[in-house]
Amino acid sequence: MFQIPCPHCGLRNVAEFRHAGERRPRPDPRTATPEQWRSYLYTYDNHADWTRETWYHRLGCRRYIGVERHTVTNEIRPVS
Amino acid sequence: MPDTEPIARSPIRIAGPAQIRFGWEVSAVRSTAALRLGDRTPLAKVLVRAAPEGRLAAALGVPFGLAARDDHATLVIGSGPGEWLLVGPPGSSAELAGRIETADDALVSVLDFTHGRALLRLTGPDGARALAMLCPVDLADRTTPDGAAFRSAVAGLATDVVRDDVDGTRSYLLHCERSSGQFLFDALLDAGGEYGIEPDGFGYPENSVQLFEQVAAAEADGSAE
Amino acid sequence: MSPLATHRLDPQPGELLDRSRPLSFTFEGNPYTGFAGDSIASALAAAGVRVFSRSFKYHRPRGILTASHLDPGCTVQVGDEPNVRAAARGLAEGMAVHAQNAWPSLRLDVRAANGVVGRFLTAGFYYKTFMAPQRLWPAYERVLGTFAPGGRMSGAVDTLAEYDQRYAHPDVVVAGGGPAGMGAALAAAQAGAEVMLVEQEHELGGHLRWGGPAELVLLQDLRAAVAAAPGIEVLLDSVVVGRFDGNWLSIVQRDLPHVEERLIKARAAALVVAPGLVERPYVFAGNDLPGVMLGTAVRRLINLYAVRPGTQAVVLTANPEGDAGVADLQRAGVEVAAVLDARRGEDLRRALGRGGVTGVETADGRRVACDTVVTSIGWTAPTSLLNMAGDRPWYDPSAARFRPSDDLPEGVLAAGGISGDGTVEELVEHGRSVGAAAAAGHGAAGRPAALPVRAHPERFRASTHGIVDYSEDVSSKDIIAAAAEGYDSSELVKRYTTATMGPSQGKLETVNTVAVLAEATGRPIADLGTTVWRPPYAPISLGALAGRVHEPVRHSPMQPWHEAHGAAQLIAGAWIRPDHYGDPQAEARGVREAVGIIDVTPLGKLDLRGPDVPKLLNLVYVNKWSKLAEGSVRYGVMCAEDGVVMDDGVTGRLGSERYLMSTTSSGAATVWEHLENWLQTEHPDWQVHVTPLTTYYASINVAGPRSRELLARVTEGIDLSPEAFPYMRVRTGRIAGVDECLMWRIGFTGELSYELHVPASYGLQAWEALLSVGADLGCAAFGVEAQRILRLEKGHLIVGQDTDGLTRAYDAALGPMVKLDKDDFVGRPELFWQEQLGEQTRLVALQPVDGTIVPAEASQIVRRNAIVGRITSSRMSPTLGRSVCLGYVEVGLAEPGTVVTVLLPDGRRIAAAVQPQLAHVDPEGERLRA
Repeated sequence: MFQIPCPHCGLRNVAEFRHAGERRPRPDPRTATPEQWRSYLYTYDNHADWTRETWYHRLGCRRYIGVERHTVTNEIRPVS
Repeated sequence: MPDTEPIARSPIRIAGPAQIRFGWEVSAVRSTAALRLGDRTPLAKVLVRAAPEGRLAAALGVPFGLAARDDHATLVIGSGPGEWLLVGPPGSSAELAGRIETADDALVSVLDFTHGRALLRLTGPDGARALAMLCPVDLADRTTPDGAAFRSAVAGLATDVVRDDVDGTRSYLLHCERSSGQFLFDALLDAGGEYGIEPDGFGYPENSVQLFEQVAAAEADGSAE
Repeated sequence: MSPLATHRLDPQPGELLDRSRPLSFTFEGNPYTGFAGDSIASALAAAGVRVFSRSFKYHRPRGILTASHLDPGCTVQVGDEPNVRAAARGLAEGMAVHAQNAWPSLRLDVRAANGVVGRFLTAGFYYKTFMAPQRLWPAYERVLGTFAPGGRMSGAVDTLAEYDQRYAHPDVVVAGGGPAGMGAALAAAQAGAEVMLVEQEHELGGHLRWGGPAELVLLQDLRAAVAAAPGIEVLLDSVVVGRFDGNWLSIVQRDLPHVEERLIKARAAALVVAPGLVERPYVFAGNDLPGVMLGTAVRRLINLYAVRPGTQAVVLTANPEGDAGVADLQRAGVEVAAVLDARRGEDLRRALGRGGVTGVETADGRRVACDTVVTSIGWTAPTSLLNMAGDRPWYDPSAARFRPSDDLPEGVLAAGGISGDGTVEELVEHGRSVGAAAAAGHGAAGRPAALPVRAHPERFRASTHGIVDYSEDVSSKDIIAAAAEGYDSSELVKRYTTATMGPSQGKLETVNTVAVLAEATGRPIADLGTTVWRPPYAPISLGALAGRVHEPVRHSPMQPWHEAHGAAQLIAGAWIRPDHYGDPQAEARGVREAVGIIDVTPLGKLDLRGPDVPKLLNLVYVNKWSKLAEGSVRYGVMCAEDGVVMDDGVTGRLGSERYLMSTTSSGAATVWEHLENWLQTEHPDWQVHVTPLTTYYASINVAGPRSRELLARVTEGIDLSPEAFPYMRVRTGRIAGVDECLMWRIGFTGELSYELHVPASYGLQAWEALLSVGADLGCAAFGVEAQRILRLEKGHLIVGQDTDGLTRAYDAALGPMVKLDKDDFVGRPELFWQEQLGEQTRLVALQPVDGTIVPAEASQIVRRNAIVGRITSSRMSPTLGRSVCLGYVEVGLAEPGTVVTVLLPDGRRIAAAVQPQLAHVDPEGERLRA
């Protein structure tokens, strides 16, 4: 089980967190086209590489934290 | 209309005799076992939320991850980023809340958590070994010494854990949602079985000389009964 | 061999036996004795037993091969416990041991006929046999089931409490307690590290234990040093079964007095893998006959258990350990009839005999009579744990084995025999330097080099064919056949033949499998590589994995009352709730006619504070919140960004900047995380605190025409008159003597009703007070089932029951709630488009024409054979005396009065009429506004 360095709690088991998905900007809801909006909802990059993600520390500080994770090795580093 | 004073009840049921103290129905069971698990739910619990870098934070003086007693012998726990839990004698929540200076910060929330949370105390040299059956966080002195506070899963339940030694004996306060208090209590009793754990009712001293003195004074003037 | 003959030797210098403690046990119902310190297998071997089991497929008799954990022929049933490894499990008084896979008896196994029709079970038989026709599969399954390996279980589950688990955070875990492992642990501890030393056997020492006097002296010294060293926790009869990301290790510990097994989840800074080497069997005809064993098995039996392995032996040796085995045999009084030295090119051709060895035929055609054949032909480095850490071993032909690579992952080190060869002193010294490096946390650069290897003949198979995988009964012929069929890589051949998939997980079999495959394909062993080892390293019980079950449950403060009054329990998420107290229909009638109270504590309650709360409410709810007055409450619906209904509930304004939001019981945690997500990631500038108060309050809904009358008797400080306290308002006051109670006037049941939120410690007091003072009004408790009936009569939907993961607001007839004139709210774009395009299905109330029929929930609504809707809720209505439903229909069928067809689960089709509005009872809402 890999660990996530929580900026508030320190290094913790990933089981304490909920994966909240890749970080993607929310389109402007007043002008977004259906294509843009649904891309925001459903399309994930899922690179075999470093990705920027949000994790929710549900069994710790209850903060949403941003990290960079390598999807092949599960290495984690803080968002630069 | 019932004209008797209401009786508060902890979520934790301990087999054996009960008594009414400070308006709470509490267990009168006493244990002298080397490892004891006590119900401390009747203690006043007040949650404070404010900016982590604000004036109130500076006044409280305890960041997330640490716990310390203030000048009033109130245990101030840094329970989250911008979040503190104050623990004091039974019936003192209004007093604890009243001491919080809210004026200087943009937004301060002060909430009485006394009835919303369960509070347990696990005391004994084998406390860390028993807790390590249920909690993934390293309980060694080098990572969680006396005065350390953290939130993690204990038996799968989100729990605030505070290392709060008593006269040099290893001791932990465990704070969780009231509705799961009995579950946590039972899980800890099970985990401590091999170390001879015994349940311990709500007695005094509450593992702290200062608190004992406060409560003794409160009892003497009859205000708490 | 006479069963009365004893094979127990005089005391041996390194024996484990406590001869002062004889133990009685039975095998196949016959009485035997052994000593404390014996394994089950050694005690039986001492009594002359040679056949321990029948093999998995061919039901061939099997005996001792390795005399270790890995022994494939020594799996037995002990009492109620199946699959016990008899060569590893310590003998205990009174054990009832039975052979497995032997029916009707070990001596006469009718299924051994399989050996005659062996072609039936050749390579890939799983894929070739019993496949078609499919209708015969149940029959095939029954046949295969009787052949399946394994023992028996009584099914009693009262032993779950005998397993538990703990977490650990050692600096260094050393997997293997031989000379290198002990050296590593000592050096790491000397450097100040906290060390866990994990040994699979019952004592530390590894192969030192069956060595000569010098090895035994070194063993005593090392053991004494380990015992004296502070900071080393020794776990015996325990094994590191898996290594996962970040050196997260699972260790199964068996040496505890009070639990059967304990699973340790250890987060180690460094893992030192020091399992030594595993002796590799040799492939030749008859290599699975009882009496054929490895050199290390012979040395274990003689030196650890004082058991003479046979009377006449032929030995094939390729290394000094094999030569030492010859010396041990001679010392034990075994006649060594022939020694074949592979280093001089000598070889076996086959073992002779049926049911046991009677002789051998050598490569040059000689026949030698014997009852024991011993092979010492090579070694396997058990690199599984290194594999799990990502390392890929490489084949070293000079050592005739695969070896760990030089660039092991960070925090993972290899010490001793797995790394290379050396004297015992060199192994200890290597362990010490690796242990010191592990404690120091050096990166790859600071690691000691691997030990060198000594030359070893490359010998895997004789000129004949024999068993490669003893557990799975796979022969070298099977592997050659598989290669010929195109399964020509290590991974393919493994899956096709099942070789290496048995309990020893390839530690005995992998290299021979690859070697035979190399032979069949003409490719070098190095090119083929091994299969990838995965957890578990050793067989483990399901009990160890399950440990103690910790599933948090939640109880309301009124739980003692519910239990005392016979409540039927409903498990709703983590909450344990009263479903009913015996008669939910009567409970529902009581509410409509008089007054009832229900425990609704699980309702989510969130304290919202700050100047920007209205912004937050406007964002997360589809309706408007800017003008909510103090003292008022409002119903709100939340959708997700895809427009799907997520939760609903009422939110009240308690003060100028203070609100209380209620959520559904099951949605409480989700909504809290949802609000925090918006606040933390999108609007960190908003001044709002969200704090969950769900269990701060005991929540009691008081419902029914006499609820006001009831509450008047216990309430202080609140004017309950309809003018002063109308529908959809909130007040604070003293109830049943308890201060600071909240009272909301809302009506999920469709009746005049008040929801009380009482500080939880006083919940039981308030609950009992209401029942006590309301007895003459007919006040009674009602459960979740009665509430579901009442709300269905009223047509109030339940999110998650009457909506699903595709239901958007317009489908659920919540369109009037959606305020598209707000610039933004969560899910607005999808709802805007849905409003423009129109919804395709709609929630409607339905009544079966025959009101005695209650269609099961999830019944389909059909037009001929097309599905055009579904029933989401249905109950018998005590108020109307007929069945009532909610459900979805295509929009074209949503007109009131439309009669649709409901397909019941039993195939019947019934007619049901769409109602003019969702409420079956009191559509005008006069009762709840009374």
